[in-house]
Amino acid sequence: MSASLVLIIIVATAYLATHLLYEWLAKRLLIVSGAEYLVLGILLGPQVSGVIPQEAAESFGPIIVLGIGWIGLTVGMQFYLPRLVRITGLTFRLAVIESLLTLGVVTAALWWAFPALGLTSEFWAIVPALALGAIAVASTPAGLDIALRDRQRRVPVVNQLETSLGVNAFVAVLTVGILFAWVHRAPVNATRPPTPTEWAVITAGIGVLGGTLFHLFLGEERNVDRLVVSLAGAVILASGTAAYLNVSPVFATLVVGIVLVNTSRGRAELRTVLASAERPFYYVLLLLAGLSWRPTTSWTVIAVLSLYLATRTATKVWGTRLSTRWNAATPQLGAEWGKALIGQGRLTVALALDYARRPELPIGDVVFTAALASVLLTEFAAARFVRAALAPIVEPLRDLAHRLPWVDEEATPSAAVASNGDTGEFVAPVIDEGSTTLQIETGPSREERR
Amino acid sequence: MRRVIVLALLYLLMQAVLPLGEGTAPALVLMAFGFLILGAYSVGELATTIKLPKIVGYLAAGLAVGPAALNFVSVPVMNQLAPVSELAIALIAFLAGAELQLDEVRKRGVVLVKMMTAELSVAFVGIATVIALLHRFLPFLNGAPWTEILGFSILFASVAVVHSPAVTMALLSESGAKGVVARTTLGVVLLADVAVVLSFSGALALARVLAPPSGGAAAGNSFLVLWEIGGAVLVGAVLGAVVALYLRFIRRELFIFAILVAFFGAQLAALIHVETLLTLLVAGFVAENWGGGEGEHLRHAMERAGAPIFVVFFALAGAKIKPEAVLQLWPLVIPIVLVRAAGIWAGTQLGAWWAKAEPEVARYTWMGLISQAGVAIGLSSVVAAAYPARGEEMRSLFLATIAINESIGPILFRISLLRSKEATPESFRGGGGH
Repeated sequence: MSASLVLIIIVATAYLATHLLYEWLAKRLLIVSGAEYLVLGILLGPQVSGVIPQEAAESFGPIIVLGIGWIGLTVGMQFYLPRLVRITGLTFRLAVIESLLTLGVVTAALWWAFPALGLTSEFWAIVPALALGAIAVASTPAGLDIALRDRQRRVPVVNQLETSLGVNAFVAVLTVGILFAWVHRAPVNATRPPTPTEWAVITAGIGVLGGTLFHLFLGEERNVDRLVVSLAGAVILASGTAAYLNVSPVFATLVVGIVLVNTSRGRAELRTVLASAERPFYYVLLLLAGLSWRPTTSWTVIAVLSLYLATRTATKVWGTRLSTRWNAATPQLGAEWGKALIGQGRLTVALALDYARRPELPIGDVVFTAALASVLLTEFAAARFVRAALAPIVEPLRDLAHRLPWVDEEATPSAAVASNGDTGEFVAPVIDEGSTTLQIETGPSREERR
Repeated sequence: MRRVIVLALLYLLMQAVLPLGEGTAPALVLMAFGFLILGAYSVGELATTIKLPKIVGYLAAGLAVGPAALNFVSVPVMNQLAPVSELAIALIAFLAGAELQLDEVRKRGVVLVKMMTAELSVAFVGIATVIALLHRFLPFLNGAPWTEILGFSILFASVAVVHSPAVTMALLSESGAKGVVARTTLGVVLLADVAVVLSFSGALALARVLAPPSGGAAAGNSFLVLWEIGGAVLVGAVLGAVVALYLRFIRRELFIFAILVAFFGAQLAALIHVETLLTLLVAGFVAENWGGGEGEHLRHAMERAGAPIFVVFFALAGAKIKPEAVLQLWPLVIPIVLVRAAGIWAGTQLGAWWAKAEPEVARYTWMGLISQAGVAIGLSSVVAAAYPARGEEMRSLFLATIAINESIGPILFRISLLRSKEATPESFRGGGGH
C-alpha cells in the first residue's frame, strides 16, 4: 500500500475519531487527544514497522512545513488588539513573568547540562538550550478548552490562563524566530549575506507581505470561496518562503495571523475556515513527527528529558505561585494556576519539528525527543491539570451552588462573590431576580445575600 | 489595479527571495504552490476584464512563470507538484459525477449517447484521415508502410478525439450555467471520457498488430482493460455509497472530508489500477443521488476546498506548454486542429439530428467540446511508452495540438454559453472559485 494512502486512511480515521469518539471521550474522561497519533507515527515509521519507509516520510516535507505554518497562523489569530487592550496590566504582567521565567530557567539549566553531558561544545550549547527553553514556554490550550467545555463561567483565573497561553505562545515563537535568524547560514548566492537582525526583519516581513497580499487579493469581497483562496495562498506562500529562506515559518505565519485578525472584517469567517482544518492538520503533523522520530534510551537523552521536565514543571508551578504572591494576586487567582500550563501540544510539536528539520543546528534529535516526550507525557492529562488548577477557586462556588438553590453555576447572569480571602473574588452565575451580588464573609455558615 | 499590484508584489518577492534561498526542494515547492495560487488567480481575474475565461488566465500565468519564460516554476518543481494535479483531476471528476442527476440521465441519456457516438465517430474518422494524408510530412510516419500508417493514424485519432472534463467543469462552475447546452456539453464530455478509454485500448491493441513496437511496453491484456473500466465502476460505486452514508448520518466538516474523499479515491484507483476519472465520476454520481439530498453541500464544500487546487492545476498545465514545439510543428498542427474542430462540429450536427435534440444544442454544443488537457496528455504518454522512438515524436505533435486546443477551447465554450444565453458576461466575472 502506498505511503500516501496509509496517511490518508489514518487522517480519515483520525478525522472521524475526532467527531465520533474524541468529543465523547474528552467530555467523560477529561482527556486531550493527540499523543496517540505520535505513537502511531512511530509504529508506522521506518524505525518500527517500516509501513511508511524513510524516503516516503521525507516526501511529506512540504506538508510538515505547511502544518507548522498553519499552527503559527492559528496562534497569531489570537492577538486581536481591541480585545488585548481590555486585559488588565496585572494579567499581562503575570503572564510575561511566567513566560520569561520558564524561558530563562529551562535555558539556563540546559545550557549548563548539554556540555556537562558531552552533547555539545560550550559554545554551541546555547542554541539547543534556547530552543528547548522556548519550546518549554509553550503550553497547550486544549486542556482549558476541554476542562471548561459547556461552562460559561468567566472567573478571573480563566482570563489569566487564556492570556498566559497567548503570551506563552508569542514568546515561544518569537524566541525561536530570533534564534533561527541568529544562527542562519550565509546563502551561497548572496553578494552580501544578511545580518541576523536583517534575517529577523525578513521573517517578520514575509508575514507582513503575506497579510498584505491576502488583503490586496481579497479586496472588498466577503465571498467565502475567495476567502479560502486568499487564506490558502497567503499561508502557503508565507510558510514556503520562510522555509525556503531557512527562517522560521511559524514566526512568519504568526505575523500573518496578527495582521489578518487585526485588519480583516471577516474575522469570524476566517476563524471558521482555520478551525475546520486545525485538528486534522495537527494529527497529520503529529503523525509525521512520529514518522521522523527516533526514540532513544540513551541515558544522556533521558537526563536531558528529566531536566527539561523538572525545570519546566517547577517553573510553571512554583514560578507562577511566587509571582502571583509578589503581585498580591493570590486572592483572585489562587496559587495553583500554573498547573494549568503544564500540558504541551500542537505548538510544541510545530516548534520541535521546525528545529529538527534543520541539519545545521546541533543535537536536533535530542531537542526533538525532549519536546515530543513532553507532549506524550503531558498532553493527555492537560484537561486534568486545568481542573486541578481551577479547583481551589471553582470548587467553593460549586459547593455553594449545591447548598443554595438560587446559585446556579450554569446560569448566565453574573454576580461578584467576595470571600474571606482564600477563594478570592470571582464571578459566579446567580439565578435570582434582582440579586447580583453574593458575599461570603468568613465561612460557609455565614453566607448572606446582599 | 489591485490585481496588478498583487502580481507586481509577487514578482518582486520571487526576484528578492530566489537568490537568498537554499533551494531545498520541499520549501521551494510550497513557495511555488502559494505563488501560483495568488499569481494565477490574479491573472485569471485580469483575463475576465478582456472578456476571456479565467482558465485562460490561469494557463497564461502558468506559461509566463513556467520553464518557457520566467522559470519561477521549474520542471523539477512541476514534477513535485504532480500530486496537486492528481488531486485536482479527482475533485473535478467527483464534481462532474455529482452534477449528473439520475432523473436527467433517465431523461436525456439516449440523447447524450447518440450525440457522443456521432461526435466521436466523425471526429475520429476526420483526424485519422488527415494523419494518413499528411504521413509524408510526419517524422514518425515518413517512409512507413501502409499498415503502419493505418495503425498510427488510428492510434493518433483515438487520443486526439479526447475532450477535457476539467475545462468543461471549470467553465460551468465559473459561469454557473445550467441550461440545455451546458448540460449536454458536460454529459457528452463525461460519456466520451469513458468511451475514449475503451476505444484507446482497442486502438493501441490494433496498432500493435499493424505496427509492432520495438522495445516498447508489453501488449495490453484485454482483461486488464475491462478491469480498468469495470473495476472503476465498482470501486466508484462503493466509495460513493460510503460518502452517501457519511452525508446521511454524519454530515460534518465537509470541507476537509471533500479533500480526503478525492485524494483517497485517486490513490485507491492508482493502487488497484482502475480508471481514476471514472472511479471518482461514479463516486460523485452515487453520492449525489443517494446522499439523502445532502450531496449539494458536499459539492459546495468540494468546490470551495478545491478552488486553490484547480487554479494551480490549470497554471501547471499552462507551464507545461512548450511554445517552441508549437512553432516548430505549426504547419502540421494547424490542419489537425482545424480538421478536429470540423469533425466535432459535423459530428454534433449529425448527433443532434439523430437524437432530435434542441436547435441550440445543435448550434452551440460543439464549441464546448474543443478543449483538451490532462487526459489527452496522459494518453499521449502511454503512446510514448508503447513506442519509445516514434511515440516520443508523436507526443510532441500531440502536445503542440493540445496546447492550441487548450488555449482556444475555453474561449469557444465561453462564447457558446453566452450566445445560447445560458450565461452572461457578469456571471463569468463574478464566477466561483475557479
